[in-house]
Amino acid sequence: MVARLEITLKPDLFDAEGEAIRRKARDYFNIQLDEVRTIHVLTIDAQLSQEQLESARRQIFTNPVSQISSFKPLATPFDWAIWVGFRPGVRDNPGSTAVEAMEDLFKIHFQPGESVYTSRLYLLRSERLGKSKRGYRAVEGIAKQLLANDLIQQWRVYSGDEWNPEEGIGIIVPKVRLAHQPLVETLSISSDAELERLSLERNLALHPRDIPVIRSYFLQPEVRDGRSKFGLSDPTDVELEYISQARSDHCNHNTFQGKFYYHDLSTGEQKVVDNLFKTCIEAPTLRLQKEKDWVISVLWDNAGVARFDQDTYYVITGETHNSPSNMEAYGGALTGIVGVYRDPMGTGKGSRLIAGTYGYCVGYRDYRGPLKPHLHPRRLLDGVIEGVRDGGNKSGIPTPYGQVFFDHGYMGKCLVFVTAIGLMPATISGAPSEKKTTTAGDLIIMCGGRIGKDGIHGVTASSEIYSEHTPAGHVQIGDPYTQKKMHDFLLEARDEGLIAFITDNGGGGLSSSIGESSRFSGGAFVELDEVPLKYEGLDAWEIWVSESQERMTVAVKPQQLSRFMQLSHKHEVESTVIGHYTDSGKLHITSQGKTCAYVDLALLESGFPQWEFEAEWVAPEHRGLREPVLGPPDNQRRILLTMLSRANICSKEWIVRLYDHEVQGTSVIKHLVGVERDVPNDGVVLRPRLDSLRGLAIAQALNPTYSRIDAYHMVGCTIDETVRRLLAVGGSFQHLAGVDNFCWPNIQYHPESNPDGKLKAAQLVRANWALKDYCFGFGIPLLSGKDSMYVDGNLEGEFGERHKVSGLETLQFAGTSVIEDVQRCVTMDAKMAGDLIYIVGLTRNELAGSEYYDLFDYTGLNVPRVRLKEVIPLYQALEEAIRAELVASAHGIYRGGLGVHLALVAVAGELGLDVELAQVPSEEVERDDLLLYSESAGRFIVTVAPEHKTDFEELFKDLACDCVGRVTAKQKLTVQGLGGKVIFRVGLQQLKSAWKKPFGNL
Amino acid sequence: MPAGKTKASSPSRVKALVLTGYGLNCDRETAYAFELAGAEAHRIHINQLLMGEKIGQLARLEDYQILAFIGGFSWGDDHGAGVILATKLLYNIGEQILGFIEAGNLVVGICNGFQALVNLGLLPGLDGDYRSRRVALIGNDCGSFRDQWVNLKVEEDSVCVFTRGLKNLELPIRHGEGKFYAEKPVIGRLLEENQVVLRYAGSEGNPAGGSFPDNPNGSLEDIAGICDPTGRVFGLMPHPEAYNHWTNHPNWTRFKENYRRRGEPYPQEGYGIQIFRNAVDYFK
Repeated sequence: MVARLEITLKPDLFDAEGEAIRRKARDYFNIQLDEVRTIHVLTIDAQLSQEQLESARRQIFTNPVSQISSFKPLATPFDWAIWVGFRPGVRDNPGSTAVEAMEDLFKIHFQPGESVYTSRLYLLRSERLGKSKRGYRAVEGIAKQLLANDLIQQWRVYSGDEWNPEEGIGIIVPKVRLAHQPLVETLSISSDAELERLSLERNLALHPRDIPVIRSYFLQPEVRDGRSKFGLSDPTDVELEYISQARSDHCNHNTFQGKFYYHDLSTGEQKVVDNLFKTCIEAPTLRLQKEKDWVISVLWDNAGVARFDQDTYYVITGETHNSPSNMEAYGGALTGIVGVYRDPMGTGKGSRLIAGTYGYCVGYRDYRGPLKPHLHPRRLLDGVIEGVRDGGNKSGIPTPYGQVFFDHGYMGKCLVFVTAIGLMPATISGAPSEKKTTTAGDLIIMCGGRIGKDGIHGVTASSEIYSEHTPAGHVQIGDPYTQKKMHDFLLEARDEGLIAFITDNGGGGLSSSIGESSRFSGGAFVELDEVPLKYEGLDAWEIWVSESQERMTVAVKPQQLSRFMQLSHKHEVESTVIGHYTDSGKLHITSQGKTCAYVDLALLESGFPQWEFEAEWVAPEHRGLREPVLGPPDNQRRILLTMLSRANICSKEWIVRLYDHEVQGTSVIKHLVGVERDVPNDGVVLRPRLDSLRGLAIAQALNPTYSRIDAYHMVGCTIDETVRRLLAVGGSFQHLAGVDNFCWPNIQYHPESNPDGKLKAAQLVRANWALKDYCFGFGIPLLSGKDSMYVDGNLEGEFGERHKVSGLETLQFAGTSVIEDVQRCVTMDAKMAGDLIYIVGLTRNELAGSEYYDLFDYTGLNVPRVRLKEVIPLYQALEEAIRAELVASAHGIYRGGLGVHLALVAVAGELGLDVELAQVPSEEVERDDLLLYSESAGRFIVTVAPEHKTDFEELFKDLACDCVGRVTAKQKLTVQGLGGKVIFRVGLQQLKSAWKKPFGNL
Repeated sequence: MPAGKTKASSPSRVKALVLTGYGLNCDRETAYAFELAGAEAHRIHINQLLMGEKIGQLARLEDYQILAFIGGFSWGDDHGAGVILATKLLYNIGEQILGFIEAGNLVVGICNGFQALVNLGLLPGLDGDYRSRRVALIGNDCGSFRDQWVNLKVEEDSVCVFTRGLKNLELPIRHGEGKFYAEKPVIGRLLEENQVVLRYAGSEGNPAGGSFPDNPNGSLEDIAGICDPTGRVFGLMPHPEAYNHWTNHPNWTRFKENYRRRGEPYPQEGYGIQIFRNAVDYFK
């Protein structure tokens, strides 16, 4: 029997959810609604008695103080109504908890196929909308573009006139029904062409150059002999899927491991760059690991490990979730953050999550042009923000830091960066926590969620045609609740010494987690029949590669199984033995009792060809870039206020407030500081061990617009900015660790579809050279890193034509530092009237790619560059000054330049600043506007109490550091130009309101 | 201390049970806050109370003097924050919890824990009725989750034992469903009978009068925390355990400059610990 329960707020209560929709309809589409009320719908498809249903209604699903509910329709009169529910097979988290609650209340078990589905009914009242066709279209627009995403949700629109108050929405059951008999198929390898055809047909994405290697393996007589014993001949779909996953760019980093033929067209220089990963990431990190004893484990595990204190390590990694978020912003971002949290959980023997950070690159929120991306940037950004909000908050992990960057190029594909940090004891049961291995005989256990069609073949499968009961396979919705239970369980199991090996199931699912973990023992035997499924009808290969979320693969010794399962039961986590590790050298998989895969693990190391790229560098001056002919402005005051209102400068407080940034009680320096706690600080600091004064500083940066000139300097400036952000809060120059995260447009040249592919490839090579140079220079080991290629989209234009839109070449660089005593940390806000203002570092005429030039649509040529020899002594002096507690505030000068950042220091401290530009250390900058808005690297604004003047200046003797003015009690920022006259005097309130104007109402 | 391990307990120390599991997440810092306040705190999974023998980790309510319902997202906050947690406890160990309160012990519910207490009916406990839901914590008026430090006025006439001696307090709130709601007569009685303990306030320390963001969620009468008629059961939306060190405060670097220039020492402990200390001292 199917029952539909409707729940809504009592009529006299304010409906905040409905109000938010009313506001968005007005702001997004200019549709005036008078009121929106929401009804929550539970469709219960289970054998329950009337008494049980009624009891569940009263005991669980209805709050007698604030809600009413009924198994009959609750809708009050409306003009229009919209129903939104999930498509079949989409993860319905509240549906699952409803089942759990009823099972617990009635002490029953839902039978296979029984379920609860949640959906919502929105009742719209609007005098203006009318009941006409036009009204319908407006409501349909709200349904499609605000409430539902076609990929995962279905929706229906009802007009008030047609509504049947007895029937309501009727009974809608989005149950997955797969009329499919699972099978294993054998694929012909009669020729390369045949296998290539099958690869295309089955979406295997085998690289054409890999195909001969695969064929020759399966044609070897001894291989065929071995396989025939288990009834196998040509490769099965399970085997080819396994190889395809393992060889994918996602798992194998073929681009970074590729061979680049680099040709500098300006100088004629030619070079073969063999393997960017080895030469630019691995080599410097290994060398730095030898110099720095705090680098514990890098380059092999799910995340890097560094020492926090004598007996504690921290664990860090980064990830992107661009393509999924671009299609389904909320689900994609939620899955992204929840997914990256499994990496530290699966590092060493497992770590406890202590922080996550975010980075979003999207098109302009107010875009009004003709291009039609799948999701408008505003909706996309809202969805991404909310996805990370729910993923982070519900995991109980603080999200203390992040940034947003707007650029038209990200209309093609957005970027969603997520970084995860964990903490673990240095030893577990006396053994090093960072080490793990599998041994023949260990049991393979899958913990956490069940397997469905989620994420199979990623978003490339989106061309499937939907029917009412086909699962929306490729889009995943993360479930932080299930994962939090698993996290708590696995930590307890770890502390009891029950975990021999652990890794997560992310990209590639079991195929990659078991494929990789079995290399330690030298083999694995897996019975797919044992794997718990969400619904029947999955083929063996689908079970093997499904990316259903919230799962870890764990190796447990047989004698420890019962305790492991006891703890699993305690935390109500599903754990299942699905096989065991062997030393046979083979990956052996069975399905329905028969072998469906039997391959040598060594196959993957057997000489697959390297990817190759042509890279052609044309120096910016030869690409037509030059400095603009731009005269100085008359109205300096208005320029400053305009700069503060720019999308990439202005306040984004609304995002920070949506994220729980202080759960775990560890927050020391928050992202928002100042008297009113509304100005972003350079970095944040946590005190992850509550019983210690030691701190972990976290910061990150990205500067993609500099790639318009040269990605080498984009990377240099981005690393430098991260370093400065860490130092500005009190980080240590001796402990700087990095996580590189590259997002690049397609670099494979194609004369029609990617004519500038060679330049983009050269940019990638140059970016990696900079990564190597600056990581060496600053002494930053790369604890972890990630690359995501193909940041491109083909968007429909006004006339149905298609435009390729590529993202800027982007590196997000995240950094960490360890601070001995958090009580020595500083923030960026001016603290006291009378303090002296210093500018540290030289300002040069470096405005190419700057916010100032962007204001006038210029790019320019003089890109900021980082001069290591010049900046390192400054950074060491500043570190010493902060350690000696000589500094009242410290703030780096970043995008927007000196003018913008002086304003922020003043606004945050609610104190005036009197500044003389003539005192600012500079080199060949003779104009006020250029001095105020140059984005030269290596600079800080520091305020110092007068009694520390001598000591502070002594530390910076002979360095580029000068006193430029004083902090005052007046509520004004006053700047005296190079000519000696005051060029503007602006009230702090005015600065603040300009800075808050764009997003202040969100 | 690993979850669920009971260390050798000294008979003299007050024992606090910090309930964990099913998506709750403030267990470590809440246990730490109790320890700072002088208690012996154990993080106990809900299932240790419900089926402890089966999992080899039995915990018994009667071994404790303080029961803490902590912050987090039990059952993902689905179907109303704290609702499923309350149902689970009510139908499994409801009577034991009532007995625990009757025996003169203390119960505190923070954020999700407060939501659980009102859904269990342990708050407000008007007329000694600890089974009826009379108040609710519903979706914030601002329409979303919000993290923000708030000023709180402590009602000095309140009977609450956790806030004795406190007048004003700053703490972070971090919730999506924190709007305190009840029908007018209920609110009237809570005010009259001094069961309103904490109210959102402006920077001067007076009740916010409903104005956002001083009152961050639209709570009626700016109510941020209430207690039962005995003052021994206390629920609040703000997080005192997240103010366990003086550097948790969003403006501490500003305070520090003042301390330094006046030559004064830094305070060390966070002000939120007072609430836990009051609870521990109640048994002295």
